[in-house]
Amino acid sequence: MTGTEISTGTRSPLWRNVRVIRVALQVMAVVVVFGAIWILGTNLRDELIAKNLPTGFDFLNQPTGVTIADSSFKPSSPVWAALIAGMKNTFALTIVGIPLVTILGTLIGVARLSTNWLVAKAAAVYVETIRNIPPLLIILFVFNVVILPLPAPNDPATPLDWFVISNLKIVGPGFTSSPGAGILLIIVILALVAAVIVGRWRTRYSDQTGEHHHRMLWGLGVFAAIVLVGYVVTGRPVAFSLPVLEGRVITGGFGGLGSYFAVLAALVIYTASHVAEIIRGSILAVPRGQTEAANAIALTGFQRLRFVILPQAFRFALPPMINQYLNFTKNTSLAIAIGFAEITLVTFQLIGNGFPAPQLILLLMGAYLLFTLTISLIANVINRRLQLVTNR
Amino acid sequence: MKRIAILAVAFALVLAACNGNSDATTTVPSGTDDTPPPAAMGDLLQTVIDRGSVICGVNEAVPGFGYTDADGNFSGFDIDYCRAVAAAVFGDAEAVTYRALTAQQRFTALQSGEIDVLIRNTTFTASRDGREGATFLTTTFYDGQGMMVRSDSGITSIDDMANLSVCVLSGTTTELNLAARFGDTPFTPLTFDNNDQLQAAFVAGQCDGWTSDKSQLAGVRTNFPESEGGPEALTILDETFSKEPLGPVVADGDSQWAQVVNWVVLATIQGEEWGLTSANVKDYDGDNNEIRRFLGLEVTTDEGTAVFDPGLGLPTDFAVQVISQVGNYGEIFDRNVGPSTPLGLQRGFNAQWTDGGLLYAPPYR
Amino acid sequence: MTTTTIPPSPKAPLHRPVSPSVWMKQNLFSTWYNSLLTVIFGVLIASVIVALIRYLVSIDTEIIRVNLKLYMTGRFPAEQLWRLWAGVFVTTAGVGLFARAIVRTAQMKATTAGLEFDRSTPWDIVRRFWPIGALVVFTLSFTQTITPSLLTLAAAAIGLAAYWLGGGLPAWIIRRSWLIPLVGTTAFYFVLVGYGGVGWDLWQGFFVNIVITIAGISLAFPLGIMLALGRRSSLPVVRYLSVTYIEILRGVPMITLLLFGAFALGFVIPGDVQFSLFLRLLVAITLFQSAYIAEVVRGGLQSVPRGQVEAGQSIGLSPWKTTRYIVLPQALRNMIPALVGQFISLYKDTTLVFIVGLLDLLRAAQVSTAQPEFFAQGLESVVLPFVALYFWAGSYVMSRESRRLERKLGVGVR
Repeated sequence: MTGTEISTGTRSPLWRNVRVIRVALQVMAVVVVFGAIWILGTNLRDELIAKNLPTGFDFLNQPTGVTIADSSFKPSSPVWAALIAGMKNTFALTIVGIPLVTILGTLIGVARLSTNWLVAKAAAVYVETIRNIPPLLIILFVFNVVILPLPAPNDPATPLDWFVISNLKIVGPGFTSSPGAGILLIIVILALVAAVIVGRWRTRYSDQTGEHHHRMLWGLGVFAAIVLVGYVVTGRPVAFSLPVLEGRVITGGFGGLGSYFAVLAALVIYTASHVAEIIRGSILAVPRGQTEAANAIALTGFQRLRFVILPQAFRFALPPMINQYLNFTKNTSLAIAIGFAEITLVTFQLIGNGFPAPQLILLLMGAYLLFTLTISLIANVINRRLQLVTNR
Repeated sequence: MKRIAILAVAFALVLAACNGNSDATTTVPSGTDDTPPPAAMGDLLQTVIDRGSVICGVNEAVPGFGYTDADGNFSGFDIDYCRAVAAAVFGDAEAVTYRALTAQQRFTALQSGEIDVLIRNTTFTASRDGREGATFLTTTFYDGQGMMVRSDSGITSIDDMANLSVCVLSGTTTELNLAARFGDTPFTPLTFDNNDQLQAAFVAGQCDGWTSDKSQLAGVRTNFPESEGGPEALTILDETFSKEPLGPVVADGDSQWAQVVNWVVLATIQGEEWGLTSANVKDYDGDNNEIRRFLGLEVTTDEGTAVFDPGLGLPTDFAVQVISQVGNYGEIFDRNVGPSTPLGLQRGFNAQWTDGGLLYAPPYR
Repeated sequence: MTTTTIPPSPKAPLHRPVSPSVWMKQNLFSTWYNSLLTVIFGVLIASVIVALIRYLVSIDTEIIRVNLKLYMTGRFPAEQLWRLWAGVFVTTAGVGLFARAIVRTAQMKATTAGLEFDRSTPWDIVRRFWPIGALVVFTLSFTQTITPSLLTLAAAAIGLAAYWLGGGLPAWIIRRSWLIPLVGTTAFYFVLVGYGGVGWDLWQGFFVNIVITIAGISLAFPLGIMLALGRRSSLPVVRYLSVTYIEILRGVPMITLLLFGAFALGFVIPGDVQFSLFLRLLVAITLFQSAYIAEVVRGGLQSVPRGQVEAGQSIGLSPWKTTRYIVLPQALRNMIPALVGQFISLYKDTTLVFIVGLLDLLRAAQVSTAQPEFFAQGLESVVLPFVALYFWAGSYVMSRESRRLERKLGVGVR
């Protein structure tokens, strides 16, 4: 298009002037798009007014009247608090699910390339089966066929006395915290920072002197020492706790609703099949010469994978992996089918109880955008760090 | 990174724009006085007549009230009222188009004009009448919310249910009543978006109680499979902790259509009071002028002989059509939910006022 | 469909048949940990297979036999079912004609290029599409009368006949082979809806999953191309608008769009126009898919070398003509695999319509397990795998076809 901008001395007429056309086209685009938004928007507003429905967001402060399982949410709390409670549940699925998906997916992806015929075939069957089944169906299956047949909550299983398992709730060992816990958390974060600094220093030291850095050992040592001292100083605010069953109330321990585990397990199983394909593709994308070079310096199979192949493969894998993380986050919305109260279900509940749908759906979309944009942001930072490593 | 920034800004703009709208409208005091009447004011009856069928929003999953079999045949108490409306308007009870709706969708469907009338075990509440842009008509079924538990659970009252779990359908008044009934007592509500999944969870014992309208619970209890202990395995607690008057609903803004649907319901009630049934209504030849007016027969008074037309916009013989094709209230009740059906419900509040019930039709004159 | 035979490279190891014991030594017991893995996995797999056999022997498929019509077509009025069969006939006829047209196009191209045309044998077709064939036979095994089987055979015969008749189609139709699906779709719609037929409000069951998949992708495609071109436009405003649309929709789950379609679209549509739930969901799905299609198309556009555009400019084509005649045809060819991927993804996602109350295959399965005669018997473990087979077979075949195309087109290989 720039090729037509050759100056010919004579001025071309207005309608053939490329600059004019460009400006006109853009103005047209703006007018069309915003005009359409404006028309649809006023339409929406008029319809809402005509139907005597609220047009603004004032309803966010009204009490909902609904309850949400396994949360401190009260029926008298306002709508926005219900949405926050829903987002917390979505977050609880995402934060646990993404690491699990990464681990399981990587294992299966590596297994698909195993020299062991049986292992490779088993992984291949897993991937080819699971990734061609709708995730919603897997969620329904896990919930109905795995979780619901567990013992009913009035007679839960208590294996080893460490777990309390029923189809309503699954609780395992966890920690209980007392007031000093907040300070300890800050200390842990500081210890983490200190450990990273020490690790950096060891790396530099190693670069300069050529001695082995032992940065993991140093880092962990510093971290453990600081945390231990902090733990004692703050008066042991965190204690290991086992779930205790009194009647129907489970105290202590760490766990969640059966429907939470159903969604988590189903989505991890589903997404891992996609991650496995990405990992496999990325490993195959590492040039053969790298393997040969690793063999030439007599690395063992594990060392080759750990130090040569996987680091490079992860770099290829990261962008599509981010996509899978986003898919995982978005698929948590399917929990609505089995009644786990994440943000979509809460929105659905609110719409059903007479709060205006258009506004709520807009907020729901905003909530998901917040999640996906945050993940993209974090992933982009990591991606850039990885790129830097290769350029060095 | 830039992309993300653009997105965030764009979304913020959209939100801001919506808020702007709200400012613009909230400045109008209460917003109702100045709202223009909907364009279709009073036109719905004509629209329905021109279309040739009534679009009726119904349930498809509650046996006895609104249910479809695998071939798409609808049946039930609510369905019969859809048919009654069609019989009154067209003289043909089959001129109905059914729209199966979920609990959440029903008011949206009504507000957006997708359906003409909503007859889907919908509870009459003030906020629905006000906030949802709906007009509630004469109650067809007086129900109340109850709690069903397993007989062997030892639960005899809702007060025994602290810390237990309760299954409830989301988007229903039931959900709100449940929260209100438990108040500060801790319990685990399990909200499902459809009855089928809820039922599976209840059978698996995931929830100790299932709360819903008592009529629905009765239906589930009767059908409870023998493999799980049959109906005896379940108990519906005595306590009724809410009033659930169920009836037809139309959209705000068209009073003619509202009175058409309303009088169809009243006609079934009036018919029963006078002992008019699908078998005998066409043969009525008595000289009770009230009944003659009701059936659109010629009435002789001092001023001469005429057919009474109350000006509802319906054919004068609409009551005959309704009762002969669908039946009177008692017939509709007995056929769908009465003692001889799987639900086996007694009339209770749903008896004629003459029998101590709440059914009371205003005079037809 | 053109292949050039590559002479075996001298470096490639010759395939030497190995004895089973050597094979096992190499592939299962090469090292001690491999042996350990083999044993662990062997036990694991064996127990899974045993459990599977036990399961298959124990299940009672009565629920599927009773509800097969509900699964396939939902509550489609029984007396109108003949229309669906007629629709199936129209479809197989169209597919037969279209397949022949594609083969003939490929043949013509191969002849002009002076290459040998490599025709797929019937055996190839069976090998490539066996899951779908097996699924049809499997489905028919649950029918209670012979009629559906006979009608299926008739449909297959019509398809084959159409393929054979396609040999006689005039060349101008072959050149415009897109006419066949267009006419076919129109005929299909007419057969189902025309003269007091069944409108799409009553399209349910597996049928609706298929309709939404095909309609969703087809309708989203033009919009997606526009968005992709917009995203690559040199006009900043157009670019930013396209990017915003694409990224917002890609950042939210499809269910939010379905909720929008079910609960809010009715308010946005001007005037008294009423859309049925099916149509509103279709609009929502189209809006959603177009963002993904745009990204697929963008990938295709990027795969066209810049030199092609410059070549177009150098012979004085306008930007529009360069796009239309040079860039798009090559881009479209390159994006077919990714497009198939999107198709698969939508196929699986059509199950989501269940949440907003459309009776699709998955919802029908759930409804059937709640029927009085089947409920509380743990039949989810029978019905859900049954439903999974339908999605698996379709997705598996499509994903294999897409990989095959990828290899053939040499996408990503320069």
